[in-house]
Amino acid sequence: MARCFLSLFCPSVASEHLTRLVEWCDRYSPLVSQDGCDGIVLDITGCAHLFGGEGDLLLDIRRRLHRMNIEAHAAIADTWGAAWALARYGNKFIVHGENTVAALDPLPVEALRLPSEIVLELRRLGLLHVAAVRKIPRSSLTARFGSTLVWRLDQAFHKAEDPLTPWRPPAAYRASRILAEAISTTGSVEYVLRNLLQEVCVKLEKDHLGSRRMDLACYRVDGTVDRCEIRTSKPNRTISHLQRLFSSRLEKLWAAFGFETFTLSVLNSEALNAEQLSLIETNPVRDEESFDALIDRLGMKLGFQEVNRVRICESLLPEYSVEFRPASEPIAAGAKWPDYRIRPIRLIDPPMRIEVSILIPGGSPVQFFVGRRQHRIVRSEGPERLSPEWWWRDNKSRWGVRDYYRIEDEQGLRFWIFHHAGQWFLHGHLP
Amino acid sequence: MPPNPVIETLRQRINCLEEVQRRFSRTVSVSNEIDRWLPYGGLPTGSIHEVKDASLASAIAFSAILSARIAGDEGNILYIAPDRSHYPLGLLPYGINLDRVVYVFAKRPRSLVETVLEALRCPQVSSVLALVDHLDLTGSRKLQLAAEASGTTGFLLGNAKDTFIAAPITRWKISAARGRAGQSLAQPVWALDLLYSRSGRPGRWTVEWSGKELYTVLMRPAQQSQQAEREALAG
Repeated sequence: MARCFLSLFCPSVASEHLTRLVEWCDRYSPLVSQDGCDGIVLDITGCAHLFGGEGDLLLDIRRRLHRMNIEAHAAIADTWGAAWALARYGNKFIVHGENTVAALDPLPVEALRLPSEIVLELRRLGLLHVAAVRKIPRSSLTARFGSTLVWRLDQAFHKAEDPLTPWRPPAAYRASRILAEAISTTGSVEYVLRNLLQEVCVKLEKDHLGSRRMDLACYRVDGTVDRCEIRTSKPNRTISHLQRLFSSRLEKLWAAFGFETFTLSVLNSEALNAEQLSLIETNPVRDEESFDALIDRLGMKLGFQEVNRVRICESLLPEYSVEFRPASEPIAAGAKWPDYRIRPIRLIDPPMRIEVSILIPGGSPVQFFVGRRQHRIVRSEGPERLSPEWWWRDNKSRWGVRDYYRIEDEQGLRFWIFHHAGQWFLHGHLP
Repeated sequence: MPPNPVIETLRQRINCLEEVQRRFSRTVSVSNEIDRWLPYGGLPTGSIHEVKDASLASAIAFSAILSARIAGDEGNILYIAPDRSHYPLGLLPYGINLDRVVYVFAKRPRSLVETVLEALRCPQVSSVLALVDHLDLTGSRKLQLAAEASGTTGFLLGNAKDTFIAAPITRWKISAARGRAGQSLAQPVWALDLLYSRSGRPGRWTVEWSGKELYTVLMRPAQQSQQAEREALAG
């Protein structure tokens, strides 16, 4: 399929607004990129018919930009280079195939996207137009100007690759709705979303995939874009569940003058095989009631870094031996929990310095103070010696060898304290 | 004295009228003596319970023992707290399968309570352990209704001395008790106060965790704990 590029030249737009304009252009094609500091390029291959053909697309983009009071020149061509040249220097706006050469020939050499020193050099030599440069043998051009000039020529005439880096990776699954009239109520947005979800989920099901990350772009009438993103902890394509995850985001959506276009894209997807429904299942769990759905909802509400499972780490030191990992991450299989060890239920981090009285030097303590409160030690067990692994020896942030004691005071409260380098620390509460 | 048949039939009729039999049919065993003392024949699942403890460590351990019994090997347990001071490995001796525990941290009190409510609504959650400061009556009623609808058991844990967290089905206070000489410190000894139980009497026990069972070491007269509750309410 012949590629098709649209180049926009907006000389009067400040660069910080240009990024917003790039986002806005997302409505025409998933492959949009900022082009220098004064333009935008869209890969509209296979997109134009959605807007009634290339001519109508061009008209539409011009009309909308004009309404936003943005001065812009747009052109469509087979290559990025050609579209770039036509938008800035040309007088034709849609050029294809053999016409490209004829359309580019009369343009000034600047139209070839060249650095200013090469342009100056060409002008000095009297080569003012593209046609003049094109007629010189390639070997002499390379000898005089290096590879840049030839490379740019080839790109403009579709002889060399010209890769476009989209401002965001294109979604493999995408659905969009352009509305005849702007909508602003949550109910109607939800209706459109349901429609889009149905379309996308059918595609996902066909490919045995489930979505991990989805994004709904809502284009307002005034040219601004609002995005709602949802994540799930496991691949999912259940419409009701996804819609429910979106609903908390939709409430916060501010419609202003209304939305006119919606695009739903699946940013991440993972394999999800169809499940066999059991005929004899006595108590089927509805999808939105399942545990995974709960994790998703909590993750969306609090952030996925706040919903954790615990993972064991290879360390003897208590504060390094476990780690909270987001529940959305896959669990490493085969992790073994350590054997029966007495550990506190609550850990004080960092360990609290305490004052301790000892009767016999080197013996276990008889009383200690937490702040001003005195605890007389009735029973104690220990020491249990824990030391950092040898590969941590140089690390100052890890302490050296510690001697841990389990102690009980006269009220029956139990503590976990340790002795390190002549000082005593309270490290946790035992039940 | 043989039981009077008239009294027995009357008692059965009253039982039918009372909510206890209807609502709290499914229970989990605490220990033999305590099960007998509770009007439900055990601690009712599908409802919320309040456990108070000054250092919180014993409260978490006690609820973990019961949660492990409710959840078995496959049930999901949610631990919901405002901070990360909890040390998961400390729970291993209490029979909990840490693979099935999900830790949720919510700093703001409001989102924490919403999280607890959301968790209690999910029928695939066996038990919820939540560190909650305080709840109004409406809030705790909501939690209770959610728990009843889904069958999930909620343990609300707090360290406030005088105030109550919520209006639960049972309210416990755990304080540390001195162990016997020569006993390992690996075996916790607790003074369990049943401050309140719906349609039941308050009670007081000293229990020991053996690694598999809770043993009641000492049962104390209920008058004492009634006194304790009166004091707590007044204070």
